[in-house]
Amino acid sequence: MRATRFHLLHIVTAVLIAVFLGIHMVRQHLDALLYDSEDPSSWASMIDRASSGLWAALYIALLAVALYHALYGLRGIILEVVPSPRANRIVTWSLIVVGLAAFGWGTYVPVHLLGS
Amino acid sequence: MTDSGTKERRFRIQRYDPEKGGTVRVDEFVVPTRRGMTVLDGLLYIKENLDSTLAFRTSCRMAICGSCGVLVNDYPHLACHTQIEEFRSDVISVKPLPNLPVIKDLVVDLTPMFEKHKAIMPYIVRGDVEEMESPTREFGQTPEELSEYLQFAYCMKCGICIAACPTSASDVLFLGPQALAQCYRYCADSRDEGHRERLRLVDNDHGAWRCHLAAACSEACPKGLDPALAIQLLKRHLALEALGLSKKQRPAAVISPPTETKPKLPWPEFTVRVKR
Repeated sequence: MRATRFHLLHIVTAVLIAVFLGIHMVRQHLDALLYDSEDPSSWASMIDRASSGLWAALYIALLAVALYHALYGLRGIILEVVPSPRANRIVTWSLIVVGLAAFGWGTYVPVHLLGS
Repeated sequence: MTDSGTKERRFRIQRYDPEKGGTVRVDEFVVPTRRGMTVLDGLLYIKENLDSTLAFRTSCRMAICGSCGVLVNDYPHLACHTQIEEFRSDVISVKPLPNLPVIKDLVVDLTPMFEKHKAIMPYIVRGDVEEMESPTREFGQTPEELSEYLQFAYCMKCGICIAACPTSASDVLFLGPQALAQCYRYCADSRDEGHRERLRLVDNDHGAWRCHLAAACSEACPKGLDPALAIQLLKRHLALEALGLSKKQRPAAVISPPTETKPKLPWPEFTVRVKR
């Protein structure tokens, strides 16, 4: 049931993206309506959020689910156009490497800030 | 329209003969058509009167055998089940079914479809092998259990759903709506015990999850089946199985037939000669 589990995870990550992105959108764009604070898109505000454990965890989680959802979807499209076991191996491992690299790059700032 | 009620229509037929260079061309034939005439009638008229080399497949002429699937005016139809008048056009274009290799003219090779059909174990699988090999009684099934899969049992394997499927067009390894719907048909059968094994066969990158639910198969099916629904129900089976939530149900028990059956007549002596 491997393909089914991966596909169910694809569906679950779609829901999680909507939740995490919803929180992000509220924080970034409805700030004037919901609370008084400094401009959420300012550098200081961004660094402030990235240094907070909860926000850092949320952004890391958003990055993880978005990467999985996007790359699994891309894999499906590529394998549908180039259907072969060899293409399957090459595409799967290439996307795993790309995904891990993007995740490492994307989490560098919050992880670095949390550690400092 | 003439006095006799016939109207001349042009049949544009895609031709392909691998023994004559293998180039694809379109031949045009003028066919006198009348009300109630089917596309198959038109093809038979061409073969009998205009060009005897035209190749197409046909058998029952009543939408039972599924032999005469063709692309009429760029949509898959059974030629015997499609009246010429329904197109409201003087030009009828006839091509072989897409997504299947062409053998000659309108004849496609259905081997890939049957191979995929065979791959999903389209038969009842049970633990009691002895009863399967030499049945003593019947497997009991209620009308409700029958209705779970009945419509999918009407599949005549014409290949029209595969011709209509956009995923089959791009992914040659995709099992296709025909095989997946039949997989559900057997998994939903209360007499069957092989659903776990069958689900494993469709749990891959070119199985049930590759279906994008375009539902073109359901729209095109000449028997009015809903293969897209079967695939969605199959996905539910897969999801429940993967999450460990599938219900363990005992397969249908062996019961006596509701009426007395007469024993088989013995072979007539003149057909069976036993050498001593």
